[in-house]
Amino acid sequence: MGHDDRDSVLTVSRRDFSAAGVSAPSRALLGVALIGLLLQGCGLVYDALQYVAPVATDELGAICRRQRVQVGMAVEPFRPFVFPAIGTDEGSRVTGLDVELVRHIVDALSRQCGHPVTPVLHLVRFRDLFLHLSEGKLDLFVSAVPSNMPVRAWAGFAYSIPYFQHGGLSGITRRPDVAERIRQRLQPPSEASPGTIADAQVLAGLAVAVQDGTASQHYAAANLKDSRMVLCDSLPAAFESAEASADPAIDVILGTRPVLEYMVTRVKKEWQLLARADGKPLFLTRAQYAVVMSEESYRLRWFVNTVIFRLDESGQLERMRARWLDEPYAFPRRAAVEGLPFDVEKMVSQYSQGACRADRAR
Amino acid sequence: MRTGILMVTLMVWGLLAWGVTDVHEALAVERAEAEETARLLAKLIRAGRLVIDQNQAVIDDVHKGDKGFTPDVFEQQLIEEFRKETTIDLRTLATAPASILIPPLAKELLPAFVLASKEVVRDAQVVINQRGIGYKNFIPATYGSQAARRFTSQSHVRLKQTTLQPRNPKNEPDEYEASVLKWLSGRPNAEAYVSELTERGRTLRVVMPIYYAKDCLKCHGEPKGELDISGYPKEGAHEGDLAGAITVTVPLSAR
Repeated sequence: MGHDDRDSVLTVSRRDFSAAGVSAPSRALLGVALIGLLLQGCGLVYDALQYVAPVATDELGAICRRQRVQVGMAVEPFRPFVFPAIGTDEGSRVTGLDVELVRHIVDALSRQCGHPVTPVLHLVRFRDLFLHLSEGKLDLFVSAVPSNMPVRAWAGFAYSIPYFQHGGLSGITRRPDVAERIRQRLQPPSEASPGTIADAQVLAGLAVAVQDGTASQHYAAANLKDSRMVLCDSLPAAFESAEASADPAIDVILGTRPVLEYMVTRVKKEWQLLARADGKPLFLTRAQYAVVMSEESYRLRWFVNTVIFRLDESGQLERMRARWLDEPYAFPRRAAVEGLPFDVEKMVSQYSQGACRADRAR
Repeated sequence: MRTGILMVTLMVWGLLAWGVTDVHEALAVERAEAEETARLLAKLIRAGRLVIDQNQAVIDDVHKGDKGFTPDVFEQQLIEEFRKETTIDLRTLATAPASILIPPLAKELLPAFVLASKEVVRDAQVVINQRGIGYKNFIPATYGSQAARRFTSQSHVRLKQTTLQPRNPKNEPDEYEASVLKWLSGRPNAEAYVSELTERGRTLRVVMPIYYAKDCLKCHGEPKGELDISGYPKEGAHEGDLAGAITVTVPLSAR
């Protein structure tokens, strides 16, 4: 390439630059960017750039462009919110109330984007969901996560408005003597035993199993000072450990109330909910469940909030609750008909319910 | 002159007749090969279903994580079941001489089905190897549906499981399949199969029946209408009743 050729190339470049209709402010921006490149390592330059043209996050637009939304779910079953992954005629599927909510969000996203948006489900351990969200692997996650738990907030995360209002913590036992002891402790005040015992005190002296990283563990850490804590990797692990009378012994399993209710009424019928003297179930907390997103995903949060609001307004949320909590059904059938596929490579390679261990930190 | 014309006419007729016979023979050979291939494919999917059935207790073992039921283990057992059923060893299929017993089309399609089946078992590993979860709905029917669909998507031959009262709407029989299933249901359990040219002879359809074995009755037996473990109403079937069929549709190129 000779000298003249180089000139002509430069000329063409300049012409193209002008023809692109680059405005004066844009040139100024580019100038700042050029200075930025020349002053690498100077954070002030980036601040200046932000000041001139703040970068607005458009995670909703990004979802539309890639036509996929990355959704996290707990691989540990939280029936009826998330059932275990099973095989169907169409392939492996996961179903549950949370999956139905995801379907509604995805349908709304498809309408918003003007083309189908596919959910990519990541089935990961509950304790890893926040990590995956913070690493940008997820747009959102949903797994019966309480949004009003008085614990140290996860930095950088935010919750949607609640999609489930009837959550909270309760406990179950398979030992009639333990159930009876708790009933006795919850007797209404009388002359013989004036005053009521604090709910947390009713579990004093008992071995209480909780799932690591969940609301039950946070509650136990804050309130159950006189109980022996047993940390379990999952609810199925707590059941297995308790039923095998393995060490450490488990008197009570503490967990999400709707999940425990589902288990004792449909799966583990030899277990019973802890109850008050009048037979009413003992609830330790009340909680609302929400979708978790990145704090800065403002547009996505507005969008998900609107979807949940509309579902609530139309009565659909209540229908979903009744459908999954009250109606008789078999989840494999629902998984086959309405379940969602999940990304096999993004599921933990080999789900194991894990085990239980005494909480030595207490 | 007349003799000459007669001789030419006879020669032309002779050549035409020879050609027609040749075409008929070619069609007959193609049909026979397609039919045998279809039968072997149906037997292979049946063998795969049997392997899943034989491993059902392992797959549903609640206390075990890694079940060891890998695609390779499945393949070995599938090959062995198929060999018992047909005496054909799929391990030596590539070097076996083509014959009416192992047509060239079968040599191409049987390994393709084994591969499709292995892919289904591979994708199900995350479900199969869950510890703490018992019933996983990975059963002969779901394996069969997935393997048939995967194979069909990669081949010009269509494989389908069907029955008169399908649990999966995608397995609904078409008009032809429904008529064959009704005909089969009135006959005793046998190694019979139905093979017919359809679509004006452009395709060959082979329908091979599947009968209920004892293990199937946990979900499909009595009492009729009671929900089984997967939530479907039981059919009230008895051992040996017609469960459904495997349909193989092979396009015939020579027509």
